[in-house]
Amino acid sequence: MSSAASSSPVPGRFGLRRALVRNRGALIAAAVLAILLFVVDWISAGPLTYFDVSFLSSGGATSALAAIGQTIVILSGGFDLSAGAVISLVNAVLASSMDPMAPGASIILWTAVGIGVGMAVGAFNGFFIAVLRMQPIVVTLSTMFILQGVTLLVMDKPGGFVSPDLGTFYLGDAIAGWLPMPLVVIGVVLLAWFWLKGTRFGTALYAVGSDPDSAASVGINVVLVRFAVYVIAGGCYGLAGVFISAQTGSGDPLVGNPLLLSMFAAVVVGGTRLGGGQGGPVGSVFGAYILMIVVNILLVLNVSAYYATIAEGTILVLAALAGSISHASVLAVQLRAARARLAAWRAGILPSQLERVDRRLKIAEPAHAQRSPASPRPAFHLRNAETLRYALPAYVCLLLIVVVTQIWLGRAILNPGYWNSLLVLSSFLAVLALGQGTVILTGGLDLSVPWTIGISGIILAGMVNGSDAALVYALPVVLVMACAIGFANGFGIVYLGISPIVMTLATNGILQGCALLYSQGTPAGFSSPMLRWVMTAKLAGLLTPIVLLMVVFVVAAVLLLGRTPFGRRVYGIGNGLRAARLSGIGVERTLILVYMLSAVCAAVVGIMLTGFSGQASLGMGDDYLLPSIAVVVVGGALITGGRGHYLGMLGGVLLLTALQMLLAGTTLPYATRAILYGLVVLGAVMALRERRLQ
Amino acid sequence: MGIGSKVRRLALLAGMAACAFGLSAAQAAEKHKIFLSMSYIGNDWQAEAANMVKAMAAHKSLADKVDLQVQVAGPNAQRQIQQINAMVQSGAEAIVVYPISPTALNQVVKNACDKGVKVFAYDAEITEPCAYNVHIDQLEAGRVTAEWLVKKLNGKGNIIAITGVPGTSVDDQRTKAAKEVFAKYPDIKIVGEAVGMWSQAVARTELSKILATRNWDDINGLWMQVGCFTANSMQLEAGKKTSELLPCAGEGSNGGRIQMLPEGTAVEGAAAPYAPAGAQRISYASPPYSGALALKLAVEAIEGKDVPKTTILPLPVVTNETIKLCDEGTWAEMKAGCNAFKPSLVSNPGWFASIFSDQTPEVGLAAALVGQPEE
Repeated sequence: MSSAASSSPVPGRFGLRRALVRNRGALIAAAVLAILLFVVDWISAGPLTYFDVSFLSSGGATSALAAIGQTIVILSGGFDLSAGAVISLVNAVLASSMDPMAPGASIILWTAVGIGVGMAVGAFNGFFIAVLRMQPIVVTLSTMFILQGVTLLVMDKPGGFVSPDLGTFYLGDAIAGWLPMPLVVIGVVLLAWFWLKGTRFGTALYAVGSDPDSAASVGINVVLVRFAVYVIAGGCYGLAGVFISAQTGSGDPLVGNPLLLSMFAAVVVGGTRLGGGQGGPVGSVFGAYILMIVVNILLVLNVSAYYATIAEGTILVLAALAGSISHASVLAVQLRAARARLAAWRAGILPSQLERVDRRLKIAEPAHAQRSPASPRPAFHLRNAETLRYALPAYVCLLLIVVVTQIWLGRAILNPGYWNSLLVLSSFLAVLALGQGTVILTGGLDLSVPWTIGISGIILAGMVNGSDAALVYALPVVLVMACAIGFANGFGIVYLGISPIVMTLATNGILQGCALLYSQGTPAGFSSPMLRWVMTAKLAGLLTPIVLLMVVFVVAAVLLLGRTPFGRRVYGIGNGLRAARLSGIGVERTLILVYMLSAVCAAVVGIMLTGFSGQASLGMGDDYLLPSIAVVVVGGALITGGRGHYLGMLGGVLLLTALQMLLAGTTLPYATRAILYGLVVLGAVMALRERRLQ
Repeated sequence: MGIGSKVRRLALLAGMAACAFGLSAAQAAEKHKIFLSMSYIGNDWQAEAANMVKAMAAHKSLADKVDLQVQVAGPNAQRQIQQINAMVQSGAEAIVVYPISPTALNQVVKNACDKGVKVFAYDAEITEPCAYNVHIDQLEAGRVTAEWLVKKLNGKGNIIAITGVPGTSVDDQRTKAAKEVFAKYPDIKIVGEAVGMWSQAVARTELSKILATRNWDDINGLWMQVGCFTANSMQLEAGKKTSELLPCAGEGSNGGRIQMLPEGTAVEGAAAPYAPAGAQRISYASPPYSGALALKLAVEAIEGKDVPKTTILPLPVVTNETIKLCDEGTWAEMKAGCNAFKPSLVSNPGWFASIFSDQTPEVGLAAALVGQPEE
């Protein structure tokens, strides 16, 4: 790519090729979409008519519009979890403020209202991210909670009215029989993007996404660019909200929330790299339509309900694989490396085949011999200054929350029951935080947590069925299964080069299908007495056994990440993949181990939840995905990897759990609680602000 | 490049395949093509309802008439819209749907109706007037359970309320109706309220949070949309005797029903806490048979019978006075009045036990468990 970009003296001839290379992601996504359309056309009874195309175009438009906004954020190196909540909010605002009695509605006015609401939210996000330099993921997560609360205040149940005029305009035809309006709307947004991309701002956007420090040093106003990015993206979500309002003709406070994960999948399938600097919204639009057309494919193939998520996951992986086929793809590189290793093995020149002699360069004496008594080790707080700076805020906030609980509800600080409950309820997230935290330290993300928890619990309960003796073989079976899940994730990410988000999202869907098939929809069995004792008994009336196990777990986790070669490799990979590889770290093996660790942690949580509840249920892990990411980031870890300490994450776990306990003890309405929760999380991470760019 | 010829060859294949499909479609023309569009399938209620619909379609009275295809939309309303469109396109005569949103589907449902497709919503409601709705009266559910609890407490006491999924009309109606009842009694105080998401597991976490700063002794009663089984289990774990269990107005899980049986009742497969405990309960549910009934009504509607637009199902209420254990769980047996199932047959205590309806003799326990219709 770089060679094509730098050495093309004849622009006419190489221009096309360069454009092709640059837009590979989008082009491949378009090709995949075309193939899928062809498949639908092929296997469905009648030919694809204009009517079908029109339906498809309106079906995918909301996701496509939102994905455009998300892509712009991701290009700038950010992350926006509030997108789904903005769509819900705009829908609720429009549906509750339009007057059903009024004869007609102004399309321009209401579109402007929707986009305006989205941009206002974007400005809120942008202020904290750009001006206060806070991590996008945690700011937008807080915004998501706050918006969900606000949306419920605007509209506490589905209803309201959106003028049919809006629907007629947005779902109608631009040219009757030829061009559906949704495609025109998307086209207009994309044209606006192309214009923007050509301006100085567009260049600055890509520069900030590639390397904010370099961008700042060549004189780009990074703060302004970042702020504008979130405002623009907010506008896109707002437009998506207007579109879904037009499409549904009414309001539903929950309508946008489930769009979030598929939005990320659309962006990645469309060829945009998470972390910024590469890709573009065009691919994301195709990505959104690819995900939408899967619905039609499942229908015409008559895939049975239990297999639906498996089929979807498989299609997602295949689409991502198709997008990465090239000479430079990870899979190709790995295959070439394997061939080279095989050749080296044949020739007998693999390092492991050589004579075992010490080949280390004798540059310096071992470090410990050099330390003279004149330079003592620096004090603890100096050596661990960075860790403390990022880990302490969570604990300080925890203390505040406990004090507030004491004042507001009483019976907290001196009540051993309170502390016991806090620790027991924290134990699930504390275990997850190790797995998810380690993945995040390497710069990845594990979205397969929910159904790894679910399937582990269901299989364990089914095998144990109330017998302590059965634990002896059931526990190993479940843990081995978790290792296999983690290995599959790691293998897909490392050797097939699939982005962690897509790979683990697909695994999650496949696991959901497997859990349904295994349980036939009705999970059988229940926890054994011993497992229940561990999770719910009170030793001496005070202490639940799991708390003691947690202490052991925390010590082990700290040692694993801080004192073992594995832990150091994890940090090495997170700080720089290339540097890690060059310094001889077995990146592939380490990454696979990391995902296996995450899956095992999730399985342990599944086992613990089964003991806690007494039985396993479908969907028991659903509420743990976002919190597992939130606690890691609130605990001071960097979402892009390389920085974070397990004790910080543990602080995050305790803080969020204590906060939830405080809110549960009150009788505040849910909407208010959601807003408070978001605000406290936002406040807690204020202290984690990045240092000002030099 | 040869691509053109390849495309042509593929197109030819496609044409042949289409012919084959056309043939099989012609053979099945006697059957009514009915689609089921489900929501998120990853929870117990949905899976149970799906089993009952499948059993209904497989029953001998319908098996020759119905070609049922089941599709899952997930939690995303947008995808359900897309799915219903695709179903209409592929020639559905009727669509049975668990609506993810009562309002978001209105436009697409109207489209479907305009093309002569009958749309039946079960459990939740679609507000578009052309749709058929099959569900219970959620306001009644909230009111009846709250009134029972007030009566048990003689109009005085501290209660905890565990609600459902915020932002849904079902939760809104149940909670609103219950709170209206509680508001009439100034001595009834709601001292804790949490969102239970209609899940036993969530109910346990939320109750644990509330109890971290409170004692069971400060609480006199519980009003829960789902979670009474869990609440009773937690009280037993905390060392309460079965006679001290707090009155709980809540869901129709089989675990809760078994706990309602007088203590000491011999029940096959029972093990504490999934065992008779004489718990004071009123047990109600959104019955999972509603989908099966909707399918049956859909076939009737296709055949030209007059089906009312709204079918309000009788609220299945079981109290300590009416609780009765089933032996096998056949429809005939339930008709005779039994309403709880042995743990040896239903090993999941969170399983929803309100599966009996006068109108659906086609489906019994085996239908809800494994999708097997009655004889």
